[in-house]
Amino acid sequence: MGFNLKQVIRGRVWKFGDSIETDAINPYYRYPTMEELKLHTMEVYRPEFPREVKTGDILVAGRNFGCGSSRPGLVLREVGIAAIIAESVARLFLRNSISRAIPIFVAPGISSLINDGDQLEVDYPRGIVSNPQNGSSVALRKYPAAIEEIFECGGLPQFAYERYQRKRALAKSNVMKEDGKNG
Amino acid sequence: MAQTIAEKLLTRNNLKGEEVRAGDFLEARIDGAMCHYHASEPMHDMAIEAGFENGLPEVWDRDRIFVLLDHHQPTLSQKLADENALVRREVERLGIRCFHDSEPGIAHQMMLDYGLVRPGELVVGNDSHTLGYGAINAGATGITRADMLYVLLFGELWFQVPHSVKIHLNGTQPDYPIAKDIILQLAGLYGEDFAQGMSIEYAGSLVPQLSIDSRVCLSTHGVELGAKFAMFPADATTESFVKSRTGKPYEPLAADTGAEYAREIILDVDELPFVVAKPHQFGNIAPVDEVLGTRIHQAQIGSCANGHYEDIEIAARVLKKNKVAKGVRFIISPASQQVYLQCLKAGLIETLIEGGAQVITPGCGICQPRVGFLSDREVCITATTRNFRGRKGSQSAEIYLGGPLTVAAAAVAGEIVNPKEVLRGL
Repeated sequence: MGFNLKQVIRGRVWKFGDSIETDAINPYYRYPTMEELKLHTMEVYRPEFPREVKTGDILVAGRNFGCGSSRPGLVLREVGIAAIIAESVARLFLRNSISRAIPIFVAPGISSLINDGDQLEVDYPRGIVSNPQNGSSVALRKYPAAIEEIFECGGLPQFAYERYQRKRALAKSNVMKEDGKNG
Repeated sequence: MAQTIAEKLLTRNNLKGEEVRAGDFLEARIDGAMCHYHASEPMHDMAIEAGFENGLPEVWDRDRIFVLLDHHQPTLSQKLADENALVRREVERLGIRCFHDSEPGIAHQMMLDYGLVRPGELVVGNDSHTLGYGAINAGATGITRADMLYVLLFGELWFQVPHSVKIHLNGTQPDYPIAKDIILQLAGLYGEDFAQGMSIEYAGSLVPQLSIDSRVCLSTHGVELGAKFAMFPADATTESFVKSRTGKPYEPLAADTGAEYAREIILDVDELPFVVAKPHQFGNIAPVDEVLGTRIHQAQIGSCANGHYEDIEIAARVLKKNKVAKGVRFIISPASQQVYLQCLKAGLIETLIEGGAQVITPGCGICQPRVGFLSDREVCITATTRNFRGRKGSQSAEIYLGGPLTVAAAAVAGEIVNPKEVLRGL
């Protein structure tokens, strides 16, 4: 499923600190199925998170979010997280989220903009994240067009599928042209 | 314009053929792709999810894809055996020629052992520690499983050209490995994300003295500092390592004079204390003197960062004169069968076993909750890659990271000690 970057996301904030790591986000060695993972994601930091997180909530974090291994954070989408906003994101976690079209945004200053439990508004088209409680906001980093396309497409595997189909169609039409010439 | 190593690498591999600078986005041509046990996802499950009826329809180059079933060797459950069986079927179907199947060991070490990666190449792997090949001047980095699907199909991938940080390591190599202490000290001094998304270039008077093993430790751990690449210059040590493993030609990368660095750091290793990362973060650094007397239950040496010959050799040197303390489990896992064999031929394994250590099958298990679990409130000191809470079982267990000498010294003392005490007796 694609993610429409033009939509504005509003939701309740779950706030976390710096260097939230992938073993805690995705402890799949201990809990190998998605159903089990959903009951345990992030419990190392906040035991109530898996129990109380609701569809549409927003995850806010400090620096270096998703440091550690190349494990993806799909479980966060599965428990209902609508967007992840962080001071900075570890590069593999950022790549993982882009390639699976999980809305993730880097917004320096986000930690001091918002409190846990507050409402937050993420407006990608305008490039801002704002606190509706007091009207303050910080800028979020926009992605280049090529990355936006991956989000819109629903992730890199879907993007690859579409590119491959185009390549096949083109090869086929070239063969037909050749046949036409030779025939 | 003068270029850093990363700028030169990505300019060389830019599909558009244009010069790129730090900050630019590009589609790059991939020289080599390493897939480990998660290969079944991009080849099969994820491909089907994306719309391909029977899995990935083809691969871009059957000789540039390397599949190594590392994490699950030997398999510990039927579920994992089923996953490995699926990879086997997919490799056969897609005609991938380089497949290390029934060989335990860490994929990264095998890539180096068997000359599957060369200086100057852009190599990706679906594992965060792929950066390790930077030790031999390869532009290597971890990618995601979804990225890997794209690479397997097209041999291309998007990148942002990283800014670069130059780390000058100056001083003299002592007669024991210090790479782990160096990288931990850097994380402690500058923060565990100071190289976020960047390319590390190692330089300085220590570099020519560093073994490939030590370079691999430093490059592998680039990811623990957030880096995209962590590269060493190609020198005589690199050349002799690579040429004894592959006859294929290669073109090393070197930065231009005047290249721009976002940051330069100088570390004098002669002044370096022995350090550990305390639980539960890589950057939670303290000199060993601050944690002296911490009682330990388990000590470990292994992983892609520290399962090398020199890491095991220093442990054997310590155990030649000392025995593992009562109540301590000292577990050693060579990084690969080749490393294991080298240790065996040098007589190290005999010394380790006589000294009371356990030597286990090469692989990634020692660094994960796979082999050697910890019980509640147990303490482990380990020369492996990560010390996250719960990484070895119990959430209340504590994991300290240290160099192989620090670990071996703790194993014989039963508590964290300053390795200088042990060194005096060697």
